[in-house]
Amino acid sequence: MRRANVSLLAVTVALVLADSAVVTLALPDILRHLDATVGQVAWVLIAYNLVLALAAVPAALAISRAEPRLFNALGIATFAGASAWCAVADSIEMLIIARCVQAIGGALALVGCLEQLVAERGERRGVAWWVTAGVIGTAVGPAVGGLLTEAISWQAIFVVQVPFAALAVPAALMARSPTTHRVDRHRPAVRANVTLALLSAALTAALFLLVLLLVEGWGRSPATAALTVSVVPVAALAARPLARAFRPPPGVEIAVGCFLVAGGLVGLAIPPSSNLWWSVAPQALVGLGLGLTVDQLTSRAMDLRLPRAEHAAWTIGARHVGVVLGLAILTPVFTADLRDAEEPAQQAITSLVLDAPLPPQDKIAVAETLGEALAQQDGQVPDLAAAFAEVEVDTTDQPALDQLARDLDDQLERAATRAFRDSFLIGAALALAALLTLIPVRRRTS
Amino acid sequence: MNGPWRWAGLPVLAVLLVCAVVGVQLANGGGSYEPLRPADPCVERQVTSQVDGIEGLTERLVLLGLDEAGCTLGVTREELTLRFAQSGDRADAEIDAVRDGLKSAVTRMKDDGTLPPASALVDEALDAADLNRFLEAGIRALPDRVIDSALKTDDVLTRAIDELDLRELLADPTDQADLEQQIGAAVEQAVKDSLADRLRNLI
Repeated sequence: MRRANVSLLAVTVALVLADSAVVTLALPDILRHLDATVGQVAWVLIAYNLVLALAAVPAALAISRAEPRLFNALGIATFAGASAWCAVADSIEMLIIARCVQAIGGALALVGCLEQLVAERGERRGVAWWVTAGVIGTAVGPAVGGLLTEAISWQAIFVVQVPFAALAVPAALMARSPTTHRVDRHRPAVRANVTLALLSAALTAALFLLVLLLVEGWGRSPATAALTVSVVPVAALAARPLARAFRPPPGVEIAVGCFLVAGGLVGLAIPPSSNLWWSVAPQALVGLGLGLTVDQLTSRAMDLRLPRAEHAAWTIGARHVGVVLGLAILTPVFTADLRDAEEPAQQAITSLVLDAPLPPQDKIAVAETLGEALAQQDGQVPDLAAAFAEVEVDTTDQPALDQLARDLDDQLERAATRAFRDSFLIGAALALAALLTLIPVRRRTS
Repeated sequence: MNGPWRWAGLPVLAVLLVCAVVGVQLANGGGSYEPLRPADPCVERQVTSQVDGIEGLTERLVLLGLDEAGCTLGVTREELTLRFAQSGDRADAEIDAVRDGLKSAVTRMKDDGTLPPASALVDEALDAADLNRFLEAGIRALPDRVIDSALKTDDVLTRAIDELDLRELLADPTDQADLEQQIGAAVEQAVKDSLADRLRNLI
């Protein structure tokens, strides 16, 4: 029974942290279903991360004045209820409000679960369970969200969380509460938290931008995108055996992780084509970097610091401020780059249509339907397949028309890839900035 | 590997992995996976058409003319095409550049021998023209060399280009019927003017 309780608490931690990015692949569906704008739909992600970042430390301060079991159960129940609310939200405003409530419940649950996991498993193992569950949740969130969206609907992402969270409520009530309250207070580990924030911003670039590139830029289905980005969590699992093989000092391990994330993001910025295999090796670097850094940094920021929940909350705050920072920096950059990509894409398309081996009348028909499709793109990659479906040509010209459709799709994929390049490189720069924070600064002694 | 420096293998491995991944991406064209860059309109290019006759000739003339006009205006042929695809008023410089570009295209095609003789186009032109059938039959009965000596394709085309109201034509290029009607009228007038000039010279 105790093992089941511990597992359910760990699953709750994973769910709360997975929710940070779980809707990434569902955003296009949410945008269409709730008739929202791109700016509004971005707030479905931003609101959750921002509220979680802001609520974590107050939640940690509050738990010291409350009964941890009730506190945690209340948090998990709020999270479960808000997840159900998200699933039935019928407007974008309602969904954003529900996501804020979900984040508040999540903040209470995260600190509550930490205290109870430590009470159940002891200091080191309890913290390790909490950290590991968080890393797994963060890494697999986008992939699971994509698969659920493709298989069922975006609402399914929230519905599946409800039973797990609902089961975790009695688990929290039955699990032990910490018995000793120490009065020692340590200062937050500023450097580890800053590194964590910058690295989270970089990882946001990797996961958020990659899924957008796959779905919106390269026209892949959410399920394909989900399977593709699952390379990251798989590679993250390989990080621990790698670290055990070399036994590096924690500082070196974190620095190597930051470097790998930066290298992976540079790789994602320069794919030689839109073939998904080109994203595998860069993603593996990001995944290895994620596995080497996030748990080490979290452990470092919490290492024997008291009150434990408060320092854990600082790490949550840092991670999610990083996510918000990443979204705040990258969203305007890639949306502006997507708009800037329209002109070269249109010129490339025009060039191919003018030189296509088709009779002039067919070229004019193609140009007219493409013109309508491009006029409606509004900062998004247009659907040329639908435009080509409307064009009727002689059967002898059909192969040339099909080839033109493929060539134009290739041009759009090239334009989208180019539009995402700067954002991936900014993500790499954020990972390198995280690396810089690790350089020891000598204090001047008088 | 054992010893106190065992950990150094991790950063070395990381550097090797990153260099390998980025190196392989770059070696396979990563970094240059970008949209096609339109060609320089001032550099001569070969244009072809999938159809023969007047339609094919018009297509080749327009493609060459757009290049010439783009070169004059300092924009690519594609940029100019996209600009003309939008309805609206055209600047004088654009109109002049297109007219000069089309005329230069005629000269270029004449020079490189790709301009067909008038006799190769006359049957198609007569099919489209609304002429008295006795007159039509009479023209069809003329030997090719008579037609070719009476009508020079480059002369007719240059006159037709001068005749065209390009401002009106480019104001709404999406109206296909109006486009064909204007071009047909301009070519008809050009043929008449060319024949009249020819007769004047003979007299």
